[in-house]
Amino acid sequence: MVKIYTIQSCQYCAKTKRFLASKGVEFEELDIEKDPAAREACKKLTGMDWAVPVTTIDNEHYVIDYDKEALENLLCL
Amino acid sequence: MKERIHKDVVIIGAGMAGLTAALYCGRMNLDTLVLENGLIGGQIANAVAIENYPGFVSVNGGDLIATVQQQAENFGAVIDEFDEIERVTLKTTPKIIETQEKIYEADAVIIASGMNRRKLPLPEEKKFAGRGVHYCELCDGHAYDGKIIAVAGGGNAAVDAAYFLTKYAKKLYLIHRSELRADDFSQKRLRGNDKVTILLQTDIKALHGDKKLETVDIFDKTTGEAKTLAIDGIFVNIGVEPNTALFKDELHLTASGRIPAGEDCKTELDGVFAAGDVREKQIRQLTTAAADGTTAALLAEKYLAKLKEAN
Repeated sequence: MVKIYTIQSCQYCAKTKRFLASKGVEFEELDIEKDPAAREACKKLTGMDWAVPVTTIDNEHYVIDYDKEALENLLCL
Repeated sequence: MKERIHKDVVIIGAGMAGLTAALYCGRMNLDTLVLENGLIGGQIANAVAIENYPGFVSVNGGDLIATVQQQAENFGAVIDEFDEIERVTLKTTPKIIETQEKIYEADAVIIASGMNRRKLPLPEEKKFAGRGVHYCELCDGHAYDGKIIAVAGGGNAAVDAAYFLTKYAKKLYLIHRSELRADDFSQKRLRGNDKVTILLQTDIKALHGDKKLETVDIFDKTTGEAKTLAIDGIFVNIGVEPNTALFKDELHLTASGRIPAGEDCKTELDGVFAAGDVREKQIRQLTTAAADGTTAALLAEKYLAKLKEAN
């Protein structure tokens, strides 16, 4: 399952979610403001605090921000 | 092989100018496509409260732009925010807009690609965007009445923004990584305000806060001293960049990188219009962007009618 770490007010988080939906990708959204464990997991994954959106497929490989080409590569679209 | 698709009008950019143009083009039954590489709404997408757009006492930027987007789509305009433009050919008829996935042939093109303020180069910028980190003092300054404000930057725009914000701030810091570049008048006017502290040769190292910005870490490069300032909001004014890189081989650009076009939004090329902040002009406001979008759409329709008659 694809996971995306977000915060509610982030416009690029919203765009990334719309992009995944447009490609038919199912994903689990984790709001790192509301979920401290998700924030820690995201920080552990990327080494950066509050960097969103972060999209990951395996908790190892990830894409920060809305980066269409990187997302397509990550998700083999 | 990319699919080739004909459109009456392709609008490049989905900020206020582009969406207003789309609304008008849609109403005139033109087959209209809007391509947006960044965020729908452009610079105002993150504005917390817009209080200088007629018809609204106060409106969130995202809400306002969503309404204009809905108006444009209701009239038939199609907006694609994912298929990025690779190159354009504007000197031909029709104009060619090649995206990653398709080739559009457009009889008219409205360029409304806008400008971006350079963002603070810090990873936590996104967390605080709209919640302590702002890029539009006119849009968001009022929210900081009686608060502690910082402005990042040292040019005329930053110094004038800082002066403007003194009307709200109980305390204002101007933070700049080198020396001020603003003209003497602007500097003197700002320095004469008792609320203002100017921190030069100072880098912004980090932003902190829970749900909104609370403190900013700074580093004085002259003394080597690191400090943490309690700040409610920071307005970033470290330069702007017109989004015109796509057009540099097709159109002459001004020294600032914008597109020369008059109040009729017509560029040097027939059937190519420039609207909004990307157009070289004196005043760049949300209202003038909407006005440009209107003008460009109406004159594009006239151009298309003449083109149809000629054929």
